[in-house]
Amino acid sequence: MKKQLCTFVIALTLIAGNTFAHTALMSCFDEGDGTITCEGGFSDGGSASGVEFLLMQNGAVILSAKMSEYSEVNFKKPVGNYQAVFNAGEGHKVYVAGEDIVE
Amino acid sequence: MKKITLAIAITLLISSSAMAHFQMLYTPESALAKGATIDLRQVFTHPFADEHTMDMGAQHDSKEVSPVEAFYVLNKGKKTDLLSTLEQITWIGSHNQAIAYKSHYKARRMGDHLFVLQPAPYYEAGEDIYIQQITKMVVNVAGAPTDWDSELGLKAEIVPLIKPYSIWTGSTFTGIVKSNGKPVPFAEIEVEYLNRDVNLASNSMGPSHVEAPQDSFVTMGIKADANGQFTFGLPRAGWWGFCALGAGSDSHYKGKELSQDAVIWVQVRDMK
Repeated sequence: MKKQLCTFVIALTLIAGNTFAHTALMSCFDEGDGTITCEGGFSDGGSASGVEFLLMQNGAVILSAKMSEYSEVNFKKPVGNYQAVFNAGEGHKVYVAGEDIVE
Repeated sequence: MKKITLAIAITLLISSSAMAHFQMLYTPESALAKGATIDLRQVFTHPFADEHTMDMGAQHDSKEVSPVEAFYVLNKGKKTDLLSTLEQITWIGSHNQAIAYKSHYKARRMGDHLFVLQPAPYYEAGEDIYIQQITKMVVNVAGAPTDWDSELGLKAEIVPLIKPYSIWTGSTFTGIVKSNGKPVPFAEIEVEYLNRDVNLASNSMGPSHVEAPQDSFVTMGIKADANGQFTFGLPRAGWWGFCALGAGSDSHYKGKELSQDAVIWVQVRDMK
């Protein structure tokens, strides 16, 4: 029983380690054709494919998408201030302001 | 007798100088917070002492230099040829001027941008041999690791086991010397610190930062183990070059001996 409990605890620890030991990352650039590309990833080199991506403007979500199989999203550049959000879960969100996105 | 002593002294000077050649593939910053267009300089020099800068691609049978053989970058496995981006320049070293190159590169995608420079063999008159240093350098955008540890199967190559752009002062760098994908046992490796500020505007070297207490500290000689692996502690922030001498599979060029070397550059940061 003790052995099983110990194995369970170790397994839980490993799972938690896998989930939290890395950092969520996102970098965006202006394609120069009126669109923006944002790339997501993790500090351990893991794929961001399927991770939620949000585009916020004036506190509202104006675009909700999933990162592609190449861990990226391309969208039409909004007019005015906006914020790109890479949402890989609690403690794993990355925010990039539109004004910081250049060619 | 005096003449013999002088000849020996000159020979020793030439040979020690020739041992310390380093193909530089320089950019100011290897860990970028976000994508940017970066400046690059390709200079064949002695990064610590800067006592002599060499004409890249100098030949024994021509006054013309041979062009760079290959220059490309890998990002997320995608190879982009950069040969056409090279522009020949005159590099101003502390003691002489020489033919070198400059280029720009738009490192805007996230991840590692692994640069490879294969210059034409350079004729070293002091030793009557050719030297070709196949050089790697990695720039990372936004911290995501992608290509830094790629094994490219080059004729001479140092494969890093530690990210070359993510090294704190006082920690170490580990790599494996390879030739055509196979480890080179007990490879002879030279290590040098880029002991100068690089002025991109004037294409020149600035004054030196540190003084070596003795010649063995200028170019530090180490050896790989039986598996071609080596580790070196890095005591100071800045760029450090590692050169595996004669690791490559090509041994001759234009009928002369060729030292086909593998070079990699790593950048070290202070904890502030």
